[in-house]
Order: sequence, then structure tokens, then C-alpha cells
Amino acid sequence: MAYSEKVIDHYENPRNVGKMDAQDPDVGTGMVGAPACGDVMRLQIKVNEQGVIEDAKFKTYGCGSAIASSSLATEWMKGKTLDEAETIKNTQLAEELALPPVKIHCSVLAEDAIKAAVRDYKQKKGLL
Amino acid sequence: MGSPCHFALFDLQPSFRLDLEQLAVRYRELARNVHPDRFADASEREQRLALEHSASLNEAYRTLKHAPSRARYLLALRGDELPLEVTVQDPDFLMQQMHWREELEDLQDSADLAGVAVFKRRLKVAQDELNESFAVCWDAPQRRTEAERLMRRMQFLDKLSHEVRQLEERLDD
Repeated sequence: MAYSEKVIDHYENPRNVGKMDAQDPDVGTGMVGAPACGDVMRLQIKVNEQGVIEDAKFKTYGCGSAIASSSLATEWMKGKTLDEAETIKNTQLAEELALPPVKIHCSVLAEDAIKAAVRDYKQKKGLL
Repeated sequence: MGSPCHFALFDLQPSFRLDLEQLAVRYRELARNVHPDRFADASEREQRLALEHSASLNEAYRTLKHAPSRARYLLALRGDELPLEVTVQDPDFLMQQMHWREELEDLQDSADLAGVAVFKRRLKVAQDELNESFAVCWDAPQRRTEAERLMRRMQFLDKLSHEVRQLEERLDD
């Protein structure tokens, strides 16, 4: 299957790959997986006092589409408030990356990772 | 869910514990009986039935042979039709999976075949443990959530063992 140019770009030059200290009170960690393809995705955000996402990092073991979806997700999250970040939809990621129908679930995984990271942060801060 | 049940095709009761060698022997026997060659002179209707039977036999064998698909099928028989593709949030397990992937990456970078062999044995132990846990809980109605979680973990480990095999092949070349 042919990947779109944008997927290849994110796959070859993934943005924001890395790890943050999950114990840091200002860091939210989302850990999600897709069992049938074995993909594992970790997405982390660092949030400042104004509730703005200062930094985002990810690490994904999976196919090119999963890596591109999480890479793009971290790009889009930076500079957004938590509420704004939570409105990012998998359909937007899939559209931007021109994912074929069989790879839509990769963008769903990335959306779920965003939500999990935001939830983890809110739980830490007693906001839930 | 098609009828009859995959287990019934092999005269078996639904169960996770299965003698795979016996299943393979039984499969070959049954497959011979419905092989198209045997129906070369039969009526068109008989040929079609044999073909359908052969297809469902193959499907049943494929499903039962592998632990993760057998587990998923058993849960479906109990009334829990679970989609193949979902997002799983099982943090500790996923964290461990990530560590294992990292280890495997290191083994690949260092082309460490002996290390891969050790990794493979450890993975096999984890798979056996998981299968054992699933076998004791799949038909207990109050443990459905646990059974589903274990089935999902089996899927992950199955995928990982595929990757280990691929890595072995690459390093062997």
C-alpha cells in the first residue's frame, strides 16, 4: 500500500519523539494500544500554569500511519489549551495525512492517546 | 455467527484448552472427505456443498489453531462479539510492551541473535502464562472483563512474536 507524502514525511522525520518524566506533576501521559496490529503509543504533554500545552512528546511502535498520526498530534497540541487539544478529532488527523480507510484506526488511536494524556494530567491536578 | 460452531465441526466441546496436534490430525481427515477431487463426478449441488463445507472447515481450523483468535471466538460464543480492532487502555501492560519493543530494537541494532533467542523464550513463557490465565476465566460470567483484557493481551504478544520471527529471519540472512 502506498503511503501519502505527508505520512512518509512524518515517518522519516517524526516530530517530538521522546519521553518526559511521567511522575512530573505538570506532565500528562497517555498510553494506548491497538491489539490486532500490536501498535503501542505513548503520548505526553507538559502543561504550564495557564493550562497551555508547552510541549508534547510521543513514542509509537507501529506502522507508518500510526507513527505519522501521533507525530502530527503532538505538533497540533503544542500551544493549545487542554480544552482545545481535546477537540482534535481523528478525522482531522486522517484527512491531513490522507490516510486510506484501512488505516483510519491509526488516527483513532492517536485521538484516544490525546484524550488519555489530557485525562491523566487533569486527574493529577484534581480537575476531574 | 455461522452455524454449526467451529468446535462442533471437529466434534469438540468449546474449550480454550485444546490438543493442537489432535486438532491438526482431525482437520486433515475432514479436509480429505470434502476435497473437491472427491466430487469430480458428483452433481453440481454436491460439489457446491462440498466447497462450502471445505471453506467453513478451513475457517474453523484457522480460528481455533491460534490462541488469540480461539479466545476471541470463545468470548463470541458466550455472547460477547468483540471487534478485532479497538483501542486498549491497559497502562502497566502497555508500558511493559513498550519496554519489550525497545529491547527488541536494541537486539536488532546489535544484531544479537543469542539475545533474540533469550527474548523469544521469555515471550513464550509470558504467552503460556497468559493462555493459562485465560483458560481458567473465559467461561466465568463474572470474569468477562478480565477475560477480554487477557484476550487483548494475547493479541499484542502474538503480534510481538511475529516481529521476533521477522527479526530472526533478517539477522539470519
